[in-house]
Amino acid sequence: MAEAKTRSVSFPRYAEYNCAFQYIVEQALGCKYVMPPPLTKRTMELGAKYSPDFVCTPFKTMLGNMIEALEAGADTLLMTHGLCRLGYYGELLEQILRDLGYQFEFINLSEYDMSKKKEYLRIVRRFNPKVNPARFLARFLEGVRMVEYLDEITALYYQNCGFDAMDGAYRRSYQDFLTAMYTAQSRSDIEAGYRTVRRAFSSTRLDKPQRPLRVGIVGEFYTVMDGFSNLELEQKLADMGVEVHRWMNVTNQFLRYGSGQKNLRVKIRDLCQYDMGPTSTANIWYARECAERGFDGIVHVKSAACTPEIDVMPVLQNIGADYKIPVLYLTYDAQTSDVGLMTRLEAFYDMIHMRKKVL
Amino acid sequence: MEHAYLGVDVGSISTKGVIIDKENNILASQYIWTQGDPIGAVKELVGLLEKQFDKANYEIVATGTTGSARKLVGAILGATMVKNEITAHAVGTTAFYPDVRTILEIGGQDSKIILVENGVAVDYAMNTLCAAGTGAFLSSQAKRLGIEVEDIGDYALRSTHPTQIAARCTVFAESDLVHKIQMGHPREDIIAGVCNAVAANYLNNVGKGKKILSPVVFQGGVSKNKGVVAAFERTLGCPVIVDPNGHLMGALGAAILARKGSGRKTFDFNLVNMDFRTREAGCGGCPNQCEIICVYRGDELIDSWGNRCERGANLR
Repeated sequence: MAEAKTRSVSFPRYAEYNCAFQYIVEQALGCKYVMPPPLTKRTMELGAKYSPDFVCTPFKTMLGNMIEALEAGADTLLMTHGLCRLGYYGELLEQILRDLGYQFEFINLSEYDMSKKKEYLRIVRRFNPKVNPARFLARFLEGVRMVEYLDEITALYYQNCGFDAMDGAYRRSYQDFLTAMYTAQSRSDIEAGYRTVRRAFSSTRLDKPQRPLRVGIVGEFYTVMDGFSNLELEQKLADMGVEVHRWMNVTNQFLRYGSGQKNLRVKIRDLCQYDMGPTSTANIWYARECAERGFDGIVHVKSAACTPEIDVMPVLQNIGADYKIPVLYLTYDAQTSDVGLMTRLEAFYDMIHMRKKVL
Repeated sequence: MEHAYLGVDVGSISTKGVIIDKENNILASQYIWTQGDPIGAVKELVGLLEKQFDKANYEIVATGTTGSARKLVGAILGATMVKNEITAHAVGTTAFYPDVRTILEIGGQDSKIILVENGVAVDYAMNTLCAAGTGAFLSSQAKRLGIEVEDIGDYALRSTHPTQIAARCTVFAESDLVHKIQMGHPREDIIAGVCNAVAANYLNNVGKGKKILSPVVFQGGVSKNKGVVAAFERTLGCPVIVDPNGHLMGALGAAILARKGSGRKTFDFNLVNMDFRTREAGCGGCPNQCEIICVYRGDELIDSWGNRCERGANLR
């Protein structure tokens, strides 16, 4: 029997997580990974052209990037499940791409019952029927470890890079770390990359005042993390000399708390009684956490028409009023110009800066 | 020779300029239309300010720019301070009204609310994605009704039964308005209805969830419209202060910020005679195709911006 063709798998660009997708697809599943091109204006144009008008922006970005991945030679696309409209997006994406005439296999996690362990094996077998489950699991967990390191280093980076006293050394170390993750082939590569960046970070001199301005970022899962989608919000704030804190990432949302978030739900019982969407509980909890820890401001990020995050906003307004902490609400659509964002961010910075001097 | 400070606010619709002394007294001020040509408007503005300015006793030592064209105009004027319009408005207003708690601002294309406590802005909001209910809407409706935008206020105040006009969205408001006109509602009532709709739209969108406390100061071009002022007073249930210089607050704020800033550079009125032009250069470094704006004085490149990464910097 002829050897089955190795799949060329792709998943759209999502913050910097594609290094881990690549690792898992290549090392654990034994398939080829097609790295989609970085998100650009072209991605957005392609996505917006073929999307229904009222879907949220992440759908447009993902559709555009999937087209670019197919152009780059992918034959299998993966789509995640989700707890909001995202759960239906897989079906819709597949239909749009088929209508456009692309030939590919579509693996949609929404079609599986993710609460059953057996289903996971079925998914894995679909990628590669010859996978040894034990070996897969071991290498999969290495990929998960990469995600944890990535989130830890990214969090450190945005908290400190605005105070770099060595002319961009902090930023360069972070870029080197990302390169190491994108080229990692083994567990020791991952560990070495992590150790190197930790050493580099701790040896970089920081010029941080005693009480730096601290801003907490909350918001919709995709836009809040993806630098292209939020027009480099975190870097822009950090460059003004702000400690940027963001709890929301894959590690905290999925690996540490699972999908239940029971403890968080209990903690915000006085503010809201039930989950309003995939990330609402965590966002409300973290916004109050920022307020209680004496942060100088909160930025709330969502794409236009993201219903769960619109529901979060009244609760954030209450938190803002109770703790006297300013909240900046940002809504992103398919725009790629950052002029309007800069006006609002500069004003926000000026405000929290002047406020801190007086209070 | 006493020091003076120039502040320029170039908005989408109008261009404002003031010169102040070190006690914030206005030495010269001017308000003209931008008419889609910020460079031309600023040159004209500087020429008009020069005529009012007492050059024998004062010297401009610092310049501040604000408004949506602040960067471009800042490069041309050699500004020592380039600030966003939200901060400029907050600083300008608190300098003249130290006890203000709420600043309402409706301009040509944007609207914002600034909450102030102890003379410092503590929270603000600005319209996103949509310019419903701003000055541009009022001007286009005035044109439709065949009256000057400056007269809207007087018409509105004459009305006793303002027409209900849907305030949610400008496009819907417009079709509602056309419908009401064709039904035969009197013009005064329609105009009063438009003014109410602007106030309601503002409070429902920009002012949503914000606690509006008195004293309230209302500024921006639309504050010159007595109909909208009356609508705000009725809805908020408190007096709304409109400063005679309200339309200049952004420019005043820019001038004050320039005065407080550390940068010093003597301003040259000869600017009017210089030739400025801009050129757009597309960067082909990646599919982002950043549009880089290069500003020239004569043949000399004085500034450029618009690139997202270092690749574009090489193009300059």
